[in-house]
Amino acid sequence: MPADTQEISETLIRDNITRAVCDVFKTMLQRTAKLDQMCVSGGPDACPPALRDENLAQKAQVVGTVGFLGEINGLIYLYFDANFAKDCTGHLLGMSADEVTEAGDEVINDAIGEITNMTVGSFKNGLCDQGYPCKLTIPSILRGSNFSIEPISDSIRFIYSFDTQGERLVADIILKVGE
Amino acid sequence: MRNKILTVDDSKTVRIIVRKTFKSYDCEILEAANGVEGLALAAKSMPDLILLDVTMPVMDGVEMLTKLKSDPQLKGIPVMMLTAEGGRDHVLKIAKIGVRDYIVKPFEEDVLVEKAGRIIDLKPLVDGPAKARSLTDPATILVVEDKPAIIQQIQEGLKHTPWKIVGAATQGEAIDYCSKTPPDLVIVSLSLPEESAFALFRLLRTNVKTKYTPVFGLVVKTETGTLQQAQTVGFTTVITKPIDCSDLESRIAKAMNLDTSTRYFGIEEGFFVFKMPENCTQAVLAEISTYLKPKLTEAVDAGHNRAIINVSALKTLHMGVIKQLVQAMQLCRDASVNYVLVGNAQLVSECKGFEETRTWSFFETMDEARASFGKAAPAAPALATA
Repeated sequence: MPADTQEISETLIRDNITRAVCDVFKTMLQRTAKLDQMCVSGGPDACPPALRDENLAQKAQVVGTVGFLGEINGLIYLYFDANFAKDCTGHLLGMSADEVTEAGDEVINDAIGEITNMTVGSFKNGLCDQGYPCKLTIPSILRGSNFSIEPISDSIRFIYSFDTQGERLVADIILKVGE
Repeated sequence: MRNKILTVDDSKTVRIIVRKTFKSYDCEILEAANGVEGLALAAKSMPDLILLDVTMPVMDGVEMLTKLKSDPQLKGIPVMMLTAEGGRDHVLKIAKIGVRDYIVKPFEEDVLVEKAGRIIDLKPLVDGPAKARSLTDPATILVVEDKPAIIQQIQEGLKHTPWKIVGAATQGEAIDYCSKTPPDLVIVSLSLPEESAFALFRLLRTNVKTKYTPVFGLVVKTETGTLQQAQTVGFTTVITKPIDCSDLESRIAKAMNLDTSTRYFGIEEGFFVFKMPENCTQAVLAEISTYLKPKLTEAVDAGHNRAIINVSALKTLHMGVIKQLVQAMQLCRDASVNYVLVGNAQLVSECKGFEETRTWSFFETMDEARASFGKAAPAAPALATA
């Protein structure tokens, strides 16, 4: 039976996502990442302006999504500014900016999907080892601007913003409450 | 034989990273985007290693692994998981089906190479047989020795070469260095404390990056037991102290399979120049003999039909040298290459004393030799034995 999300502390979520983002960015992209802003829906603190729904995806974004299913269920969205996504793709694949442009959006989508897969995988492996076994879903990609994610009513949402050496990465975590 | 590595991952990105990771190794990378494609390709090409993701559409990695291990033809192919799925329970479950190793993404390319190298014999890709490394190419030589004076002696003795000599005082320092920048050759003092020279040798041989790196032992001549032990375990060669740096240089060149022809042959101002060194030992003559014909052929192919045989550095004339010079002149004649000799006064005088060489004529300088070709017919010496 899935765990009651209320049992899972915000600290556990925060520590896991911070470790996962830092690890993936350091290992695969040779960039440091630092948690700089956060927001828990339904919590006592109001979201900082940059993390409010209406401000999350103002500019052109590439958003990677991977879910996890099992004792704990949820979805994580990673928001990359379009230029940052391109830069990450080039670094990951050893391609110049021009080569990435020539290769097209499909290559960027795949690279961001894989970065998201690794990040969510690392996050959920931490949960597994702490008694919440679950499996990953296949990554998918959203592209666009001025859109917002509307979580279902019986869920809890955590938004974390990371500074990755001048570029912003936002991790939007939605956990399903109860069964 | 090239190793075949099959990477099964729905992410094109991961497949590109795998290809990039192994690009400097002699292996062929095959790709499949899911378990169904992976099984078909495994049966068709019988890879030496499969890198397998877990979460994939159509057929996931666990199902593919299960089917692979239940197929008598395919079950022997080693599988390494390369996946973001890394919870303890999950890893244990997959390990029970049968995998050789497990890498959880994110991963460092070095770790992938190192782990794959434990399963298959990964050989670094050479630049190609046509372009052999030569004496003029830079190389890094790591000297592992706890006596700084010895490292300094080697640095001093080889300072005229383009090689960078790096010192490490301990086994640990040497391993750290090799993990960052694998050297082209390692010289290890066999007198390091607690037999750490032999432990280091084993580590170098088990690491994929240094598996084929030549490793020299360094020992005092009287330590015959240690010397034999080093030869038995497979050190490339053993250098004895006190070090003869000229001998060390030759052995390094041989171990690194360097083209040493530049010591004796070259094209200068449009002339093929064959230069005999000061001291022509049997080893030197053998080396010259190996290169002479191919180098002359290469020069003719490049359009050079004028040769200068420069023996002015030579200290003494002996039969070995005479035979070599006769051979060089004969080859020039056979190839229709005009040639002249350049020699010093002592050599000219010594030539008068041999039947084969008494008619040879020499120019005193390279400039004079080059200028002689401007005239109608260069003064090629006669060959008494021809």
